[in-house]
Amino acid sequence: MPTPKLYYEERTPSPLEQVWVQFRHNMWAMIALHILGAIVLFTLFAPVLAPYSPNTQFTDALSMPPAWTEEGTIRFLLGTDELGRDMLSRLLYGARLSFGLPFLVVLAAAAIGIPLGALAAMSVGVKSSTLKHLLDVLLSIPSLLLALIIVAILGPGLDNALLAIWLVLIPQFLHATRNAVHDQRHREYVIASRLNGVSQWYLLSVVIFPNTVKVLVVQLTMALSTAILDIAALGFLGLGAQSPAPEWGSMLAKSVEVAYSSPWVMALPGFALFMTLVSVNVVGDSLKSAIDERIKR
Amino acid sequence: MTRYLLRQLSLLLVTLFLLTVLSFSLGYWFPGDALVNLSGVQTLDSALYQQVASSRGFDSNILVQYFRYLSHLLQGDWGVSLQDGTPVWNEVKARFPATMELAVLASILALMLGIPMGIISALNLGRWPDRFLMGLSLSAYSIPVFWLAQLFILVFAVNLQWFPIAGQINPLYNIEPVTGSIVLDLARADHPAKSAALVDVLRHLLLPLLVLAVMPATLLARLTRAAMHDVLRRNYIKSARAKGLTASQVIFKHAVPNTMQSVTRDLGVIFSFLITNTMITEVIFSWPGLGSWLIRSIYERDYPVMQAGLLTLAALILLVNVLLNLLHAWRYPQIRQELYANA
Repeated sequence: MPTPKLYYEERTPSPLEQVWVQFRHNMWAMIALHILGAIVLFTLFAPVLAPYSPNTQFTDALSMPPAWTEEGTIRFLLGTDELGRDMLSRLLYGARLSFGLPFLVVLAAAAIGIPLGALAAMSVGVKSSTLKHLLDVLLSIPSLLLALIIVAILGPGLDNALLAIWLVLIPQFLHATRNAVHDQRHREYVIASRLNGVSQWYLLSVVIFPNTVKVLVVQLTMALSTAILDIAALGFLGLGAQSPAPEWGSMLAKSVEVAYSSPWVMALPGFALFMTLVSVNVVGDSLKSAIDERIKR
Repeated sequence: MTRYLLRQLSLLLVTLFLLTVLSFSLGYWFPGDALVNLSGVQTLDSALYQQVASSRGFDSNILVQYFRYLSHLLQGDWGVSLQDGTPVWNEVKARFPATMELAVLASILALMLGIPMGIISALNLGRWPDRFLMGLSLSAYSIPVFWLAQLFILVFAVNLQWFPIAGQINPLYNIEPVTGSIVLDLARADHPAKSAALVDVLRHLLLPLLVLAVMPATLLARLTRAAMHDVLRRNYIKSARAKGLTASQVIFKHAVPNTMQSVTRDLGVIFSFLITNTMITEVIFSWPGLGSWLIRSIYERDYPVMQAGLLTLAALILLVNVLLNLLHAWRYPQIRQELYANA
């Protein structure tokens, strides 16, 4: 039985709720969030959802166009590729490699980069502006170039591509966190807490951290879209996932040869990649402006 | 300004130094013999090997080796390719202009498209032009460049046959590659059918340029919009309006120059993105630039080439970033003041 409301009570929503209220009012953001949710479902339940295994070849149905065209059959909803593999199954399994793995890589990089960045900002030794400027300049080297070099050392392959992206993302997280914490360190509210005699840990986790959330959210979504794009790019260049794997980037690379005769083989993996990136970017963008709105009020 | 100039230049020197250290270390990190990886000399002739080893300082400690590496680098001796034995430096000289040609032209195109888009958006904030342009830019920003290139090739080159798919120029024109940049080569070449060749060059250039310009243009549009939105709320805009200036005077004399200030600050990041995309685009369009060369060298495990590619591209990006910082501080004195206040 729900507790009856006896008294009128003014309730202020928590900061998180306020952000959510703001976010919900943005139609495009909600659409993107639903698409992203669908992609997460595909990633988790690909074996249940996919009609066939991604590498099964149907020799009776080579280069079958999607089901909505004249020659298509309902057996293969999105058609088959030149080796007779079902495109739908390949795309669903591909979500694991092209979205799931980059997502894990970003989490792993954040788990290392954020604590290190906070540590760097709170310790006295490394606050020199020289180091900051140096990192600013060095981090302007694009992530894909660094990842290419790491792959060149380790050798091509999906594992090495993931490792490379992970290594490239850690300093970015470190730098962003360090700057965000550093910006807050001498604000008046922080000095007030410090005068209250709180411990360093309390200062960092309770006082400063909530105010760096915006920067971290932006950094997380940017890192996710970088990771997705770079892993697909490495796959496309033949340095990441190798051929039979249904990774969207390597599927695109393979489709070059048949793009003229069966354009859907090229269009579909690219479209999947595009939708994933759009929804990640839109969600990140809207989250950022929702947090902005909340802070402004 | 002098102080800032010196600081930025020393920063550039330090980062370039770190870059050469990295490039030198790669010789050891790559599989195989470090001397072969650095010099590219593969030989069974032990006398020759000894000679290379002593010139590279491999009979001494690692510090000497590094300084020898540096002096070789400065003398333009970047080793030879493991694949075909050609000197790496000559190849860099020929390929760098080709990459720059794409990057510079694409930047110009992006600036010409992106900034007006951002200004139009900011002036119509929340109305349909703004929504349309921002929707367009967000989706264009998310298109992976390799997919966009494939789509363009499929539609414009294969189906419509408007443009050629690969290369810089039809080889039948037989333009002698001197600088590597096809536009410069054509300009200095003495050719009977120069205007026809120019049309051919432009047809080869257009698709890669469009593909490359999309992402920087959309980023610029978003940055310009945000900056302009911020500027338009400032008091000096209000006072300019109160003085009775016309709308176009307010926008072009007061709003736009101040908007460019914060846009200039982020141009470096956009240039880095552009270079990444240039590498991929070069591969797709078989453009004889540094990016396609670097990526091919990774397949072929051509370590001296990899080092040269990394070194050149990274140095280019660092240099452009520092130059943009300097431009920013030189053009906008208030930035210098902020820098000194924090220093």
